[in-house]
Parts: sequence; C-alpha cells; structure tokens
Amino acid sequence: MAMDEKRFAAQTITEDGQLLLAKAERDQVETVWERHKAQQPHCGFCEMGLSCRICVMGPCRIDPFGEGPQRGVCGADADIIVARNLGRMIAAGAASHSDHGRDLVEVLLEVGEGKASGYKISDPAKLRSVAAEYGVASDGKPDLEIARELAYAMQEDYGTRKRGVQLLARAPKKRRELWEKIGVTPRGIDRETSEMMHRTHMGVDNDWVSLLLHSARNALSDGWGGSLIASEVSDILFGTPKPAQTSANIGVLKEDEVNIIVHGHNPIVSETILRATQSPEMQNLAREKGAKGINIVGVCCTGNELLMRHGIPMAGNHLTTELTLVTGAVEMMVVDYQCIMPSLGDVASCYHTKMISTSDKAHFPGMEHREFTALNAAEMGAQVVREAVENYPLRNPDKVYIPGKPITFMGGFSVEAIVEALGGSPDPLLDAIKAGKIRGAAGIVGCNNPKIKQDLGHTVLARRLIENDILVVDTGCAAVANAKAGLKSAGALEMAGPGLKEVCGALGIPPVLHFGSCVDNVRILILASALANALNVDISDLPIAGSAPEWYSEKAVAIGVYFVASGVYTVLGPTPPVTGSLNMVKMLTEGLNDVVGATFAVEPDPEKAALLIRRHIEGKRKALGLPSLTV
Amino acid sequence: MKQVVVHPERCVGCMQCMPACAAAHSRSKTLFGAVMEKPLPRPRVHVGVGLYGEGFPNRCRHCDPAPCQMACLPGAIYHSPETGTVLINPDRCINCASCAMACPFGVIRYHQDYMAAPGKTVAVKCDNCVGRQADGLIPACVEACMARALTFEESDKALKRKTDEMARRVSLGAEDRAPVESPGFNLLNAFKRAQLAVEERTY
Repeated sequence: MAMDEKRFAAQTITEDGQLLLAKAERDQVETVWERHKAQQPHCGFCEMGLSCRICVMGPCRIDPFGEGPQRGVCGADADIIVARNLGRMIAAGAASHSDHGRDLVEVLLEVGEGKASGYKISDPAKLRSVAAEYGVASDGKPDLEIARELAYAMQEDYGTRKRGVQLLARAPKKRRELWEKIGVTPRGIDRETSEMMHRTHMGVDNDWVSLLLHSARNALSDGWGGSLIASEVSDILFGTPKPAQTSANIGVLKEDEVNIIVHGHNPIVSETILRATQSPEMQNLAREKGAKGINIVGVCCTGNELLMRHGIPMAGNHLTTELTLVTGAVEMMVVDYQCIMPSLGDVASCYHTKMISTSDKAHFPGMEHREFTALNAAEMGAQVVREAVENYPLRNPDKVYIPGKPITFMGGFSVEAIVEALGGSPDPLLDAIKAGKIRGAAGIVGCNNPKIKQDLGHTVLARRLIENDILVVDTGCAAVANAKAGLKSAGALEMAGPGLKEVCGALGIPPVLHFGSCVDNVRILILASALANALNVDISDLPIAGSAPEWYSEKAVAIGVYFVASGVYTVLGPTPPVTGSLNMVKMLTEGLNDVVGATFAVEPDPEKAALLIRRHIEGKRKALGLPSLTV
Repeated sequence: MKQVVVHPERCVGCMQCMPACAAAHSRSKTLFGAVMEKPLPRPRVHVGVGLYGEGFPNRCRHCDPAPCQMACLPGAIYHSPETGTVLINPDRCINCASCAMACPFGVIRYHQDYMAAPGKTVAVKCDNCVGRQADGLIPACVEACMARALTFEESDKALKRKTDEMARRVSLGAEDRAPVESPGFNLLNAFKRAQLAVEERTY
C-alpha cells in the first residue's frame, strides 16, 4: 500500500486524486496516466516537430543527427517543417476558441430574433457598451434589437469584409501600430485560420519566418477576436462575473444528492442544465427518488464559466475528469466540447453514470447524444436533468467513495469586478505597483499534462510568485489547481509577501485571482491594456508575465502566441514541438524580442520558472524607472 | 559479413522499426497486407523505454555461443555461420520458454507465426532478415530507421569508426571539436530530464 501511495503521489499532488487513483486501480479503471505510460517512448521526430504528414508524397521525417534525410520529398527542410507544424497547431487552437465564440454569437442573434426562449440578455449595460464599440447605436433601441445588430457586427469579424477585427481597438495604440508595421494585424477570425491552412499546404509559404509571423496573426485573431467575443458575449448572455464564495475538489460531490457534472467549455449548455436543476419540479422529483436535492458541479472550463457567474463548485481540472466518475457518485456527466477525453464513456460504464453529449460537433463513444440548440435548450435541459434524477436510485452505495473536503475560496474576477474593487479605476493597483508593494502581475494559465505531476507546476509557481509580491491571475485548469491548494482561500494572504498581503488585505481580495475559463485569458489582455493605457506605455513595457506550466493543447499554443505577440513574456512548462529547428527555437526565445517586444521561455521546473518571471518583472520595472530588485 | 549495429544515442523512439519488422515477417511483406493477416505478424525488434523516456531498440544479439541455443532441449535453435545468425526452427520448437529464460536480453516472444504450423505457438525472435538478405535487401528495421540508430555494416568498420570517434574526443582541445550530433535532440532530452527531476522532488 505504501508503495501504491508513492506511485500515485508521483502522478498528482492532489490528495483526492491519489485516493481515487487507488480506487480506479481496484475498480480496474484505466486512466490517462496509464495510457501515457503505455505511449512511452514518444516519437522523437514528432516531439521535435520533424515529422510531416501534410501531403502524400510523404509522410516525411528529418533526421536530427544529420546523416539521414534532411529534406522532405517536397524539399522542405527542418525549419519549414517545424514552422508549418506549429502554424497548424495554432490554426487548430484558434479555430477551437473562435468556433466556441461563434456559437455564442449565434445564440445572441437568436435571442435578438426572439427565437431562443431559453436565453436572455443578463447584462444589458455590457450589451450596450460592447455594441457601442462595434458602432451599433443603442439610443432608444430595445435590448433585443441591439443584440441582433451586435451579433451581425460580430459575425462580420469572422469574415473577410473588414481590415481588422473590431476589438483590437482595446489594445494600446503603440501595440496596434507595431502590429500594423510588422503586418500581423488580424483581419478576420476565420480568414487567418483558413489562410494558415492554405499557407501550410505543400508549395505555398516556405519561409519559416513568414510562417511564424502569420502564426502570430492567426493567434491574435483568436486573442483579440474569437476568444474575446466568446468572453464578452458570455457576459452579455449570462452576466458579468462578480466575486463570490465557492469551493473546489472532489469533496464537492454529495453522497445524498443527485450529482450532475458539467464538462467542456461553452456555457450555452451548462447554463441551461443549471437552470433546469433549480426548478421546483426537478427538486421535488429528486426528493421523490430519495435524494436530498440536486448538486450541479463543474470540471474543466464550462465549470469555470458557471463558477465565475454563479459560484458553482468545481470537482477538479483536466486530469481529474476521469477520477470524478470513479467516485461512483455521479448520476450524469453532461459534456459539450473540447478537452473531453474519449475514454470517459468507458470509465462511466463501470458505474451507473449516464454520459450525455450535447453538441453536433462533438460525439463520443459510450455517450448518449441529446442535441442542444438555442431553440430547444430549455426543454432539453429539463429532459436531461430528469434523466439524471431518475438515475439516482441506480447508484450502488457500495461503489461510492468521495474523498476530501471542499476547499472554500473566492472566485469570479472579471476586469469590471477588479476595477470596481479598486474603487472605479485601475489607479490604486498602479500606485501599488509603482511603490513596489506589488512588484508586478503574472498570469498562470493552461491545462494539466501527464508529463508534469498534476497541479505541481501551477501551485509551486503561484506560491513562489505571491511570496515575492507578484499578484497572480489564473484561468482554466491552473485556476482550479490553485483553488484546491488554498491559494484563493481566506488564509492565502499569509502565503503572500508583505506588500501584496497589505494591498490585497485592504481590498479584501486573495493574492491569486480566478479570472475564469481558458477563453477568459483575454480578460488578462484587457487588464494589461488598461494598465498600459493608464501609464501611456505598451503592454511589453509592463512588469507582467504569462505562464503555462502544465499546458497540453493546441488551444494553449494559440493562447501562448497571442500573449507573446501582444507583448507578454511567457514561460511554458512542457516544450512545444519545435526543437527540431534551432532557428525557430532561437527566434521564439530570443529573436521575437526585437519583433514584438516579448519572447517565450521553456522551463519545466516551476521553481526556476518563478525566477525567470521575477527577473523579467524586475527588469521591466527598472526600464520604467521604478524601484527594482536584483533576482 | 555485415551485421545490424545499434547506436542507442541516436534512437528517437519513433518505433518505426517495429511495424517494418512485422511487415517483413508477414506473408504479404507489405504493411497494408500484413495488418489483415491471420496470424497477425508481430515485430521481433522491441523499442523499450529508458530512465528518461528515451527509446532503445532491443533486438537479438545473435550471440555465439548463444545461451538460448544451449537451453533449447529439442534443438530447435541453431546457428547459421554464413550470416552470423541464430535461427529457430518452428517445427522443432516445443514452446517451453527455456530459451527466453536463458536469454540475457529478453528478445524472445511466443506467438503464432506464418512460418509455423497453423495454430501452433512458437518461440519467435529476430532472424536478421535472412530472407530479405538473400534477395539483396538490408534488414527491414535498418531500412526504416531515419535517425540511423540502426545501421547494417561490417562490424570491423563500425568498430573502427567508434575507435576514431573516441580518439578524437580525447584529442587536446577536444571541447572545440566534440561532435554535438543534434543540439535540438539534446535540448528536447534536457527538458525531459528537467520534468522528471521536478516529479521526483518532494514538497
């Protein structure tokens, strides 16, 4: 048993996770860690970005040792192949977030047309302010008309009729001029992704520098386009987040209630499920079935979306998704899209758990499909929740095990909420930074990856940064990791350095701020822009940094590149598949500084990543003429 | 006599030698045909995982004297001096696993094979692609290895090259001339080692 504990402790730092891994083994449930082990060794060509499957003259590989083939059949060398592969990862990442945004815009349109009975405008003030940015006049018009016009205007951002996506206007002027100068201003959201696929077709763009520049433009079309639209429309439809108490870890599941887990990314479905669980009819039905109520909790980013706006608790992050089902206490998991492991249906089949897929875009083995649309959402939500409640009597109490107690913390920090907490302007934050009480700010974002012990990268980095008076904002799976580690709880201030502790204490906020889901990384860009504008500098001049200590997905690559292209120095944990081209490595980690004023670094060790970020922040402070330290 | 030489420092872990080996030991001799055959052909070279997640192509060393041969009671295992290859006669094999117990390298497997009687499980291992060699081809694993971690050459020549390499490394001022074979692959491995070091740290 001691041996087992050690083994599981090497996989995850989470105690609930370790205990459930032991149960998974007893229940003969295969997990992501076992599959990761079975995949060893990983193919070095692929890890280095040196394999190309783009055309059928190939597939091709480049020998990194220089003796075997140095060019693909078409003649592409290592630089071109690595750049094309990275470009396609970014296209896929940008497409995912932006398509998520498109779905929200469609709901906004259908609300405006009066067709989507299950949805409404929850934040009319935000509707009007975003509409104004799009040049949609709102005086005297009813909300629904504005919604319709705004949706049309946003849909044009996806097309090819414009010279630049609208919300770029929020970026500092200097940054926009730089983008214009180097030719990376994103013109249309779908256009840049489509052009990336075109450029990387055999025989199109074969200059790795030009491919990398278009990669930046493609990523920016996500960060200042698709993802930003996703966040803004979610706020309009479901409310702009405000700080609220909530909780996280497996212990949020309840032994005597119907447990429904929402998994995926888009709040369109999860919001509907949440509303359906609150109806008296369903509550009564749950009691009839012997449960004390209905408990809806989240995993991954659709969970974060509900957490931000309604304080719904989180059962865990990416690598915990399978383990939540191993509790044997989940009546239903409802998924939409992105990061949903196709293994989940298999895991659920060991228990009574019903698995429901909801999007025409995302089907999974072992799941029943219930198609959600803006038109049928309310009825479909009620139907699905009814099925979950009716599944409760089938739960086998002998198989139920819910380890751990919920960790209570504060979440729900939108930019609007932070500015409100600061008393209406970013000045108090800027003053604290200028005085050196807060040295700067860092975003910790991104996923889990079985290559890194689960949550270790996120939590060690966050601890080291707040200890050194750096304010941390986090999103996605990183945000759940830090919440579970107590870094956003009442006691978290004790872990912060004296300056950060004083400022956060006075404002009544934790030293690590939950900024939302992974599309909500754009909230970090908007906050950075606000700070830069207030100081009349560029984003790249600010004492800020980004990091993705445990990233795995293509979406994370797009996020990393839009951060760097927006001027934010970004430290990655796992390395992207680029080491096959030292030209690309040098450009990404050094050369980009002369192009966009920021670079990437790769550092799997969070202790060292913290040093890199502190050194960068102090360097930026010095350049701004602020008191600085030597790290 | 040419032999397959393994250069472990060059294995990138792509495992392409494995399907190439399986296809070479199938009835159809093509990958597309091989995957539809019964019994399904299996590789005789096995890529293992090192301490740092790196690959290593583990194949029969064709020892002489071979421990497997000495352990084989029915005399199914024999040595072919022309190609320096240890071979197994599937008709004589009694599937007793003595050879696998004797083999220091763990390269013998037991399964059905198209060369054996239908339905009979036999000991199977690398045969140096003697069939391909007779047709003027090099062993399939070597042909598939784009990183040149597997080469097919005279052992004298390979050893001479290694000796010269060693001599150059101990030359005066060798740091300047030390062959950094693939800085990109070294970088990747450095990241992997760093990941493992973090995993082993206790908090």
